[in-house]
Amino acid sequence: MPSLSPSRRQFLSSTGMLLLIASAPGARAAEHSGSLPWKPFAALPPTTLPGGRWYVFSPEEARTVEAIVDRLIPADELSIGGREAGCAGFIDRQLAGSYGSSERLYTQGPFAAGLPTQGYQGSAAPTRRYREGLDALNKHTRANFGGKAFFDLGAAEQDQVLKDFETGKVDYKPAAGFFNLVLQNTMEGFFADPIYGGNKDMAGWKFIGFPGARYDYRDYITAHNQPFPLPPLSIAGRPEWKTGDK
Amino acid sequence: MKKAALLAGLAAATLFGAKVLASDLFDRINAGRYQAILADCAACHTKPGGKPFAGGAPLQTPFGALVPSNITPDLETGIGSWTYADFRSAVKTGVGKDGKRLYPAMPYPAYATMKDSDVADLWAYFQKVEPVSNRVVSNQLPFPFNIRATMIGWNLLNFSPKEFEADPNKSAAWNRGAYLVNGAGHCGTCHTPKSLTGADKGDEFLRGGNLQSWFAPNITSDPHKGIGSWATDDIVAYLKTGANRFDIASGPMAEAISHSTRLWDDADLTAVATYLKDVKGDGAPAPTPVVATDAAMTAGKAIYLDRCSACHISSGVGQPSLFPTLAKTPTVNGTDPTSLIRVVLEGSQAASTAAKPTTPAMPSFGWNLSDADVANVLTYVRNSWGNAAPPVTAGQVKDLRAALTR
Repeated sequence: MPSLSPSRRQFLSSTGMLLLIASAPGARAAEHSGSLPWKPFAALPPTTLPGGRWYVFSPEEARTVEAIVDRLIPADELSIGGREAGCAGFIDRQLAGSYGSSERLYTQGPFAAGLPTQGYQGSAAPTRRYREGLDALNKHTRANFGGKAFFDLGAAEQDQVLKDFETGKVDYKPAAGFFNLVLQNTMEGFFADPIYGGNKDMAGWKFIGFPGARYDYRDYITAHNQPFPLPPLSIAGRPEWKTGDK
Repeated sequence: MKKAALLAGLAAATLFGAKVLASDLFDRINAGRYQAILADCAACHTKPGGKPFAGGAPLQTPFGALVPSNITPDLETGIGSWTYADFRSAVKTGVGKDGKRLYPAMPYPAYATMKDSDVADLWAYFQKVEPVSNRVVSNQLPFPFNIRATMIGWNLLNFSPKEFEADPNKSAAWNRGAYLVNGAGHCGTCHTPKSLTGADKGDEFLRGGNLQSWFAPNITSDPHKGIGSWATDDIVAYLKTGANRFDIASGPMAEAISHSTRLWDDADLTAVATYLKDVKGDGAPAPTPVVATDAAMTAGKAIYLDRCSACHISSGVGQPSLFPTLAKTPTVNGTDPTSLIRVVLEGSQAASTAAKPTTPAMPSFGWNLSDADVANVLTYVRNSWGNAAPPVTAGQVKDLRAALTR
């Protein structure tokens, strides 16, 4: 039968851990008595960048991304396309923030190859991956389609090029990873709140019937098998908020 | 032996006498402490986080800033050199030591109705408060208001000191309530509208007043604009705990409850409620509500459903003790929407009392709603579910936003 009393080693290590925890300065919690602290006008609004300009992309990069997103989400009878929805502008502003420089990720070595399920394992942050990938894309089309940039190709040719990138059939090793990066960000742009530059007029949400940034459904919870009556709602509001005479 | 017994008897008598005296003084100091709570002296004379009664934060009046004085018994900077006569004169007539005129931001027009015995108790208490050396320059008004003698004229116009007289035709509770509301409680200081000179409009007693960018609502028995729909118990619960089944105190009333009314005797709160239930409103019928098809109303409804209904419920009934009822409440139906605009713009936190320590807070919508949005949603709230009040304009929101963020 094993002894229940702790060994000398266990005792020393646990005591040491206790001392360590007790002496850590960050472990002290703030104490409040009476009422909770409160300040007028306290708010943490989402950080957004104003539209109407490109923050990261050069004019040629911007045209290329607009052409890509319009093939990934083409306009049809169900919804507007990725270009009109503002997906390229969304990606540009996304890259201008912490995402573009991988500010919140560990980006030092070692850079092992990794499995496909592990995602991107390289040293480049998204902005660099876009720059290099877009450059490779246009080099590829210029070399293979009579000197034309990607955005000057027809829709069928563009689809073919994107498929070749997706399946890695081009002379650019990170092609598939680049394709998946753009696809991921395009979907984000199509379905993220319009305040971030994409999902124009909540087109993505109307398309799939998502009610938007709402947080109370008690009036409708018992209305089974009936469509939710309210239109989608952005963090910034919805058109019905305005009286139209301003 | 005889001598010893006599001495012992004398000693006992002296001790006993001193004890009686001490106990009597203790009772008076304690009664005075309660008077200080009733009169909420600390509200003005204690700075948030500061030493009790050592001088307060500046009061912004329409005429300029006044800083409440140090009323601790400090000889140099407080009232340590005052006599009872000086104190009584300051509290009841607004004339301090050496004939110095007080400004009626000190509610002496209300305290004038206090009984001398209550003021004497208050004096006994303030002599025992810890003296704090803190020099306060009270008068920071611009010319000509900084001339204290102008208050002689003000008093001639607006002030006729008169101690409270009980109405023999009313109950004891009613009379006690009237004494507290008009006197120490000085409810009218905020809740009665002011004339151009800043005096109470006596004929509009407790019908709502605007000060320091808040609107103190109508607390008469007016069933539409006032608290006529509140039962006596509702009024008592509100003053005792900061919340009742309709409403939760916020802003200056939350402070008045936290510092003062939550500590009042239950009998006094019941008396106040009894009296308030009998204070008449203006008798004007409720206005016709803005029609639901009005553009401001439909826009306001959309905003309400998206931003307000999760807490206040789509029918405006709120949640007892957590989120105030908006349907048929005095603040909502008041003539002046200042407090409504203010809580939407900057948010609000409920009063903290022992009975209701949760202090639920409303978030600020100032960053998310434009001036027109705030105006429209409040126009909707003020004209739905039985409410009826003049619409709110974007200009009103713009002005208050500027005043609050200045």
